[in-house]
Amino acid sequence: MLLIGTVSVSWYLAVGAVLFVLGAVCMATKRNLLGVLMGVELVLNGANMNFIAFGSKVLRPEGSLGLDGQLIALFVIVLAAAEAAVALAIALNFYNNHNTVDVDRANELNG
Amino acid sequence: MESTTDFYQLIDALKADSANSLGLFMPEITLCVFITLFLAVRLITNRIDLFWVALTGAVVGLISSNPLQLFGGSLQSEELFTGLLVHDGLTVAIRSILMLFLVLFLIFTKISGVPDKEDGADVYSLVFGSTLGMCLMASANHLLIVFMAIEMAGVPSYVLAGLIKGRKRGSESALKYAIYGAGAAGVMLYGISLLVGLAGTAHLPTMALSLAEIIPAAGLGEQAVLCLAAVMVAVGIAFKLSAVPFHFWAPDVFHGACAEVNAFLSVASKAAALALLLRLAVGLGSVPLNQIEPPQTISVQQETIQSGLSATQMVTFERDDVDVKSSTPVEKVAVEESTHADQEIAETMVEVDPRIEIKQVHDEALTPVRNFISLLVAFFAVVTATFGNLAAYGQKNIKRLLAYSTIAHAGYMMMAISPLMVMLGTNNQAAEEAASALIQYIVVYTFLNLGAFAIIAFLRNYVGSEEIEDYSGMVKSRPVLVISLALIFFSLVGLPPLSGFLGKFAIFASLADGYSSAGSSALLILLLAGGINTAISLFYYLGVIKTMVMGEPNDEHHFGDRPVGKLEMAYIVLVTIPTVFLIVCWQWVAGFADEAVKNFIS
Repeated sequence: MLLIGTVSVSWYLAVGAVLFVLGAVCMATKRNLLGVLMGVELVLNGANMNFIAFGSKVLRPEGSLGLDGQLIALFVIVLAAAEAAVALAIALNFYNNHNTVDVDRANELNG
Repeated sequence: MESTTDFYQLIDALKADSANSLGLFMPEITLCVFITLFLAVRLITNRIDLFWVALTGAVVGLISSNPLQLFGGSLQSEELFTGLLVHDGLTVAIRSILMLFLVLFLIFTKISGVPDKEDGADVYSLVFGSTLGMCLMASANHLLIVFMAIEMAGVPSYVLAGLIKGRKRGSESALKYAIYGAGAAGVMLYGISLLVGLAGTAHLPTMALSLAEIIPAAGLGEQAVLCLAAVMVAVGIAFKLSAVPFHFWAPDVFHGACAEVNAFLSVASKAAALALLLRLAVGLGSVPLNQIEPPQTISVQQETIQSGLSATQMVTFERDDVDVKSSTPVEKVAVEESTHADQEIAETMVEVDPRIEIKQVHDEALTPVRNFISLLVAFFAVVTATFGNLAAYGQKNIKRLLAYSTIAHAGYMMMAISPLMVMLGTNNQAAEEAASALIQYIVVYTFLNLGAFAIIAFLRNYVGSEEIEDYSGMVKSRPVLVISLALIFFSLVGLPPLSGFLGKFAIFASLADGYSSAGSSALLILLLAGGINTAISLFYYLGVIKTMVMGEPNDEHHFGDRPVGKLEMAYIVLVTIPTVFLIVCWQWVAGFADEAVKNFIS
């Protein structure tokens, strides 16, 4: 049944939601800084999946976002790259000072 | 062939739109130019002190954002870049506040000596980049720009938090800020994607229109998704505002970063986030009049207007032809007559605007949205103000204490949004007053927190410590700094006649207004919470002052031999003056704020 049904927007939304949840869980549970950053990427890509599905004229002839959806996705990809670059630089700086990338070791400031 | 001409027409239309938009986009362009300049100079030589270049940039930005145009009275809301941005009173006001803050902030960093010459280029370009994002936050009219602006303001701030290299605490605060920030942005983006998908557009006014059509017919599932999406977007904004429960980063970042960066984060980033909240709340809560298309045939009068319109259009086409050929005097007269007719029709359109009725129907449909936003913001505001004030009690470090004070103030400022949303649509005049109260508070708060952090930075330079107990008995050796700090703290509490009182009064007045006009009990709770919080906050501010004035100086900590420099003294006095004397010229601030939000709600 799954194989012969037509693919609709909701299929993509389901994939997006799965990506989002995986990313959120990853952010919350990973103790390695790089793992947390991967979680962020997953969340952003989950949202991107939604944008692209909503923007498709084929999947959604009525009320589609059109090009807006795809353009937003492009912008988000660029932003995600910029954010990852900055976060990795900060992670490197943290490593230089603490000799670890374990986020639990960032406990000097607490309140 | 058809599509190619369409394409060229599109390009032509875009050309005109961009040329028009660029003129109103000058402050942002100035910032961009100077960012490039810093980086380019850095490539060539390391020896030039970039402070003067940066100061020039900020002053040019302030001049080009031209706050005086608010008082001209002719400022209309205008969409830039095909509706991505909007240029109106709020944009001009927030941009001017940000640019003025930038000028004061640059002078402050020069006097306090952070950043040093070597770091100057990096720090200035980060600060300018962040300010650019904040300007966009204040003028966003499209959810893509909302997200982009939040990230543009956020990413440079993460780096700024770890500004001082080789310090363990600095790197830790930068790390925490970056991780929380990236997480909040991701959640917000997902919320935006749901919202955009449901509404079928990301352009805020169009979105309000389509929400007004969707909501009355929405099933349970759609309502749940809308609420979820709204809460997710709220997470992103709450993070920027450091609203509880998304405030974890604030005390740690403020503790680890240096006082200069704290001043920037606590003032500029708050002001921009509040402007964005205001824009989103009003943008989603009501349909602007210019988004509604006039109905085709309702009354006979309407029909005549329509036919009149098409007649003038035909004449206009003829006029084009006439211009190509040589025109005879008779034709010229006809052309003039047609323009007159154009104007007359425009006037009748205003008189019997059929759109107002449609707008009322749409606004009625958006009532659940307004109530939801009002309650959500009220919840965040009460929790934030209360938690911020209570947590400030146990703090030993002055920067941490001020971080919690900043959190509490974000709570007070958010309170203004709640009555605004309650009164929007039923009593637009009072709703505008609530928005104006928020702008007044932002103006006051800008000077207060800048002053507080400037004094802390100067004290750090003298004493070498940011622990409150090390300040004990300081009033004898550094009287001006201590008195200024006391004035600023009393103003933060909201004691009359200092400026903080006026800001708080404006917000509480709009809460009372909202309660008396709409009778919403949430507003009463907000008002009570605000009052109680003001009382609570008195004691921890007083505690710091008491230590400084009544405490015995510790022997092992003397307060440095260097007397307070003239420049430092002048700067402190400069930023403290508004705190004390704003009450004298309060009508300027109130007038500025009123002009800023005039026509904001249409």
